Amino acid sequence: MFSSRSMRLFKGVVTASVVTASVVALSAAGASATSPHAAVPRAKKLVVAFEVGSEADPFFQSMYVGASAEAKKLGVTLIWQGDPVNYSPATQIPIVEQLLALKPNALIIAPTDPKALEPYTTQAIKQGALVLNVDSGQANQKPITAWVTGNNVQGGTEAAQALASAMGYATNCTASSPCTVAVGVSSITTSTDAARVAGFDAELKKKYPHIVALNPIVSQSQPSVAQSGFSQDISAHNLKGIFAVDGTDAEGAASAIAASGKTDIKVVAYDAYATNIASMQAGKIAAIIAQQPTLEGKLIVQYAVTKLRNPKAKVPHLTTLPNILLTPASSAATLAKYQYVAS
Amino acid sequence: MSDAGGMPRVRPREDRVPWARRVRATIANQQFVLFVVLVALLVFFGSQNSRFFTTAEFTNLIIDFCGLILLAVAETYVIISGGIDLSVGSTVAISGVVGAFAMETLASHHVGEVAILLVGTVVCAGIGGAVGVLNAVLITKANLVPFVATLVTLSAGAGMALVFSRGADVGSNPAAISWSATGAWIFTWESMIVIAITIVLSLVLHFTAYGRYNFAIGSNAFAARVAGIDVRRHVASVYVVAGVLAGLTGMFFYIRLGAGAPTSGIGDELNAIAAVVIGGVSLVGGVGVMTGTILGAMILTVVTDGLIFINIQPTWNQVVVGAIIALAVVLQSLRPGRQGASA
Repeated sequence: MFSSRSMRLFKGVVTASVVTASVVALSAAGASATSPHAAVPRAKKLVVAFEVGSEADPFFQSMYVGASAEAKKLGVTLIWQGDPVNYSPATQIPIVEQLLALKPNALIIAPTDPKALEPYTTQAIKQGALVLNVDSGQANQKPITAWVTGNNVQGGTEAAQALASAMGYATNCTASSPCTVAVGVSSITTSTDAARVAGFDAELKKKYPHIVALNPIVSQSQPSVAQSGFSQDISAHNLKGIFAVDGTDAEGAASAIAASGKTDIKVVAYDAYATNIASMQAGKIAAIIAQQPTLEGKLIVQYAVTKLRNPKAKVPHLTTLPNILLTPASSAATLAKYQYVAS
Repeated sequence: MSDAGGMPRVRPREDRVPWARRVRATIANQQFVLFVVLVALLVFFGSQNSRFFTTAEFTNLIIDFCGLILLAVAETYVIISGGIDLSVGSTVAISGVVGAFAMETLASHHVGEVAILLVGTVVCAGIGGAVGVLNAVLITKANLVPFVATLVTLSAGAGMALVFSRGADVGSNPAAISWSATGAWIFTWESMIVIAITIVLSLVLHFTAYGRYNFAIGSNAFAARVAGIDVRRHVASVYVVAGVLAGLTGMFFYIRLGAGAPTSGIGDELNAIAAVVIGGVSLVGGVGVMTGTILGAMILTVVTDGLIFINIQPTWNQVVVGAIIALAVVLQSLRPGRQGASA
């Protein structure tokens, strides 16, 4: 009845028990840790544990596509885990503990907090695993083998430029009549959201002084909460634009604008979900900032396996993939290339 | 002030209520205090931004109030009966997602929009009712305490919403969003229906035998059983009612978003319980009034929306809500005597 992806989601709901069962199974099969930084013979199948924040998010679903394809290509076992909904260290830490009990050869993690996960990084290295970061990164990067991420500050900068352009900054935003824009985030503590807002604010300050950004509304990954918040901003201010820092906020913004009837409000949104691209093509979103989660997933698995098979091999410590600006003028091929895909 | 014989009429001493005592009694009435707090909040937010007192903003406030009140009514019934229902938020998610699937299927067969929404409402209410039946079975047949039983369905419901939806929104119904914005004056059609349901359930709680049974069971289940009330059956029915109300809230969010979001309603059980506590309903059961819950939900809505409206940093929202809950609990503890069941 359910697709393989649905089943993966269901496993995410009962993550702890599933991982525990895996521990028992692998222990029975005689899985053992390697010594620190020792090359692993090709004959031995490598185990790469990959843990993300909110596994059901289409962004991470898309990352899974790249990671699993690369793992299959390189002939390694990929253990993919993450809390299905919560992007929080409180839910991430127990899963990391279970993954470490599996004694993986490498742990790839998207830390939900820059410091809270560091003790687990130390533990992983002590038991002989490489630790790599993807998307978000921990504060102390010294023990991290590689980190692949998107350039969220650059994405925020692109968003500011796209929104200013869509609102007709040169003619419509003046010192006497500044343009007010709303900002929506899922969480104010998430490093990626914060970086996007920082890039956005810095660009407004630098190039667009006649745009006033309101304090962000916090949607907690719920589109209905985002819609409610944006409805307040629309009601309270003569709103000209919205920067939706993730897909949830984009959906809330589109609904709030539709309900208010103020269709002249311009929206620039993060994340190339299929629904967002459809909204852009329907004229509801002016531009989309796309990340490259599939490529992130592919590269980080590639780097992990390269280092495991040859510890002397060089892999870049930090790989920053640019965020891509998509507009209605983007070609169909470009849209297809950057649209987030699901398994 | 004299009788027929010209003698001054003297009221018996016990009938005389000094004005000071009347004032004290009025202040001790939690509903009165809540009403004053609500008015004060409205005046405060209105003084900060004159747009607050507009038809558009009051429409927003009522819509957001309606997104909370059915869950709060459900919790009022359950808590007065001596239980608690942690699953209502997850039930919103699963019912919204399943209802959206049903509506998508009908839309693909070119069924009319009104019929789609009616069927969707029935499906959402049915799914909610099914979750309520499951809660009822766990509580009255398996003898689980309500906290544990509904914790089970909270987790399972949230997980199943993700499984069914594959982590993404289900459906796209712009017509529903358009309809959600129509109505008369500050009331949309959707909010009118919710308010009507709230009024009916308030009357049932305070003016019918069913409501009196609820108070009796919450006050002393043993005494209620001795008095001839079928306690198990009544408790089961209360959880089914709560489930149906949560299902209807799922439909409410579907109409607002034009889609079934698997994260809609997640965590809203805490907001509903907060509204109930602010409204003066005792968490040990047997005591409470629906007007208190309604005022509690209104205060929560006005605070949450008002802080966005006047552009306060989002972090303060939770602090203010927490302070209001604390104030309500303190007020309850200061009351000279507990209010009667249906006072």
